Amino acid sequence: MNKRLRSAVGQVCGTILMLIVALAVGAVLVAISGNSPAEAYLTMLNGAFGSPQKISEVFVKLIPILLMAFGTSVAFRAKLWNIGASGQFIMGSVAATAVALYVQVPIALRVPLSFAAALVAGALWAGIAGLLKVKFNANEVITTLMLNYIATYFLLYLVNGPMQDPSSDLSQSALVPEEMKLTRLFGTYRLHSGIFLLLIVVVIMLFFWRTSLGYRIDLVGQGRKVATYAGLPVDRTIIITMLISGLLSGLAGWIETFGIQYRILDGIEANYGDISNIIALLGELNPVGIIASALFFAVLLVGGASMQRMTDVPYSVVDVVQGLIIIFVVAKVIFKFRRPSWFRRAGARKEAAKNAQ
Amino acid sequence: METLAVSMRNITKIFNGVKANDSVDFDLRKGSIHGLLGENGAGKTTLMNILYGLYQQEEGTISINGREEDISSPVKAIHLGIGMVHQHFMLARPLTVTENVMLGRKSRHGILLDTKETAAELAELSDRYKMGIDPSAKIWQLSVGEQQRVEILTAIYMGAEILILDEPTAVLTPQETEVFFETLRQMRDDGKSIILITHKLEEILEIVDEVTVLRDGKMVGSRRMDGSVTRDELTRMMVGRDVLFQFPPVEKAPGGVKFAFRGLCAKNDKGLPALKDVTLEIREGEVVGLAGVDGNGQKELCEVLTGLRKADSGSITLNGEDVTNLPPWAYIDRKVSHIPEDRHTTGLALDWNLKRNLVLKSFRRPPYVKHGMMQVKAIDAFWKRAQQEYQIKAIDGDEPARALSGGNQQKVILAREIDGNPAVLIANQPTRGLDVGAAEYVRSKLLDARNQGAAVLVVSADLEELLQISDRIAVIYDGEIMGVLPRGADTYALGALMMGKRQEVSVHE
Repeated sequence: MNKRLRSAVGQVCGTILMLIVALAVGAVLVAISGNSPAEAYLTMLNGAFGSPQKISEVFVKLIPILLMAFGTSVAFRAKLWNIGASGQFIMGSVAATAVALYVQVPIALRVPLSFAAALVAGALWAGIAGLLKVKFNANEVITTLMLNYIATYFLLYLVNGPMQDPSSDLSQSALVPEEMKLTRLFGTYRLHSGIFLLLIVVVIMLFFWRTSLGYRIDLVGQGRKVATYAGLPVDRTIIITMLISGLLSGLAGWIETFGIQYRILDGIEANYGDISNIIALLGELNPVGIIASALFFAVLLVGGASMQRMTDVPYSVVDVVQGLIIIFVVAKVIFKFRRPSWFRRAGARKEAAKNAQ
Repeated sequence: METLAVSMRNITKIFNGVKANDSVDFDLRKGSIHGLLGENGAGKTTLMNILYGLYQQEEGTISINGREEDISSPVKAIHLGIGMVHQHFMLARPLTVTENVMLGRKSRHGILLDTKETAAELAELSDRYKMGIDPSAKIWQLSVGEQQRVEILTAIYMGAEILILDEPTAVLTPQETEVFFETLRQMRDDGKSIILITHKLEEILEIVDEVTVLRDGKMVGSRRMDGSVTRDELTRMMVGRDVLFQFPPVEKAPGGVKFAFRGLCAKNDKGLPALKDVTLEIREGEVVGLAGVDGNGQKELCEVLTGLRKADSGSITLNGEDVTNLPPWAYIDRKVSHIPEDRHTTGLALDWNLKRNLVLKSFRRPPYVKHGMMQVKAIDAFWKRAQQEYQIKAIDGDEPARALSGGNQQKVILAREIDGNPAVLIANQPTRGLDVGAAEYVRSKLLDARNQGAAVLVVSADLEELLQISDRIAVIYDGEIMGVLPRGADTYALGALMMGKRQEVSVHE
């Protein structure tokens, strides 16, 4: 028990160290650009925590990226590299908005209908990649990436064509009915009731890997041979995994649409897809780790935007820090695959053997 | 005093704080065959890898032909006349024998290849040692035994005077082993010095001039094999205690037919026929051994019998029910247990902890799953019981399966597969790579399963093992059952069947 705790602490320390190094390199860049790193980062912190309104913004960002990171992590645990969270998010928003705008049923029915549409659209968009993998052994990295492009351009077509707001020239749809918008929780602050949906998902995810379904998804990640040997219908499980993964991104799309944007528009997914992949890996695909990483990124995004407004430091510093974190995370993943954990535990084993004698 | 071909003094090698070799002394006399005996993990291969320059020792010295040498790499070792044949062959399969030999050295004609000369020289060497190798044959066309001879031939061609052979007979039939030993004797008579790494006592007793025994990285002792050394003494040196070599005979006669397959045909992964009309019946409380050289359809048969591979034709019945080509979970539900050949990619999820591996197949089954949740308490209880009953050496159930030794990994699989009284137990190479103690334990557990009424099929390349525990032994060759022999069959009859010589045997009979 003690040993496990120690190894967990070690892991967390490693991650924190990695983040510090990334921020330090960012500081050097700020210094090179002729600004004070201390000031830049202080502005960033202030931009994220300086007022209740700013804190509300952090949580506004947290909702989509955490949901999508959870979605990503479900697939990643099965070693299905679903990098299509953004496409799944877009399809979720599109489906939800279409229902909200065009399905003429009472609002009380339209809300659950749009909710279901978003989940189904997100799930199916990932499910396509799952099906292609199972049927044709198509690499899901490629298919989900390509499905992202299709979704992005489909959205672009819709908001410039059939779904464009008739009263505007902008690439956006009409606003959803007022009654369908999610309630704001604190007056004018943007934080909305979607946070409760996030909380429900957080609770589910904290238990998910202890369910039989979570166990099966994990088992797929251990290799097709052993999963088949264990009696798991591997193909079916792959598809289920992708559906769940996409469903969470679709949910994020629904919440973002009715909580913040109130419509679909070009660029609605705002890079959330890439960020959620990083968060999932940074959090080691473990729910608690993912929550912590998502919080870090929400602060970085909100604070970074504020830093750009308040100082001369360009927002690209945030992009650089993000990029560095990606490199470190990927390097760490490779490092982990190369150095199996028994290596580190060999010493402990010997000790235990001695004690046993 | 005679000069020693090899003299290793005080060799210590540490891996991550664990002493794989602990001040080991090893002397090889010129022109002798020297056995290096020990259980798996005793440090035999480590010691020889140091001699071959693959590892560097932390302490100790090595002298070759009386001169102290620093063997910093295999290139240096080859230069010193040391050759090594590993357990896993290091041959390029699409190339010919000659080309494989030429990979390791420079051509005599600069940038042009000296294929013809090399081939001629190889043919000569092959004749000398009665190896029967055609230098122009491609490696993939050769049998495992022939490939091994190619490795030896290569080493000798490179000028090896000291030859290290790592478990060379593991892949050979008794007849092939006999021929192989002839070759070794011939080489010894030519003045070459040979080190034979093994954990088989029979080999030590049959061919070796001198033996050194290692246990837990330490040298236990060296003996001249002049007839005074007994099998029991070697066992004690190797294991550190007496080992039970005879299992008590069965008291209960096998019951009715429990598991039967008729006319099974199936293809291997390459789409080639791997099983041809395989028919066998296993009765309740019976162990049927399946002998055969590796790669003759054993793996495919085990997979077909557990739903992991589709049979093209034929039928499988369990307790009278037709179960042909059902999915794997249907077999699991019917209590058909399977100890697969490959522990690492099939039998275990190596990155998972031991508890999870114990319930690998139980994700739909109470008491380990209830209301869709894994039941931590029930799983913990199972682990505690399994660890005790199967003597699994591990720090705790949260250790990843990867961290365990092969023997302990196999015990985890055994605990999972044998617990809960299987109806059928398919065990493919259940003791491969295990040390004597662990192998003995696994065999006793297989017999326990039989005594509780399971129909057991044990696939093994180790005839001694099959003779020890089987009620009947079937022999498979090239996907066909060559014959079924009763308990107490003669090794040579089995060996002949293993080489596909069905007629000869029927003539003898």
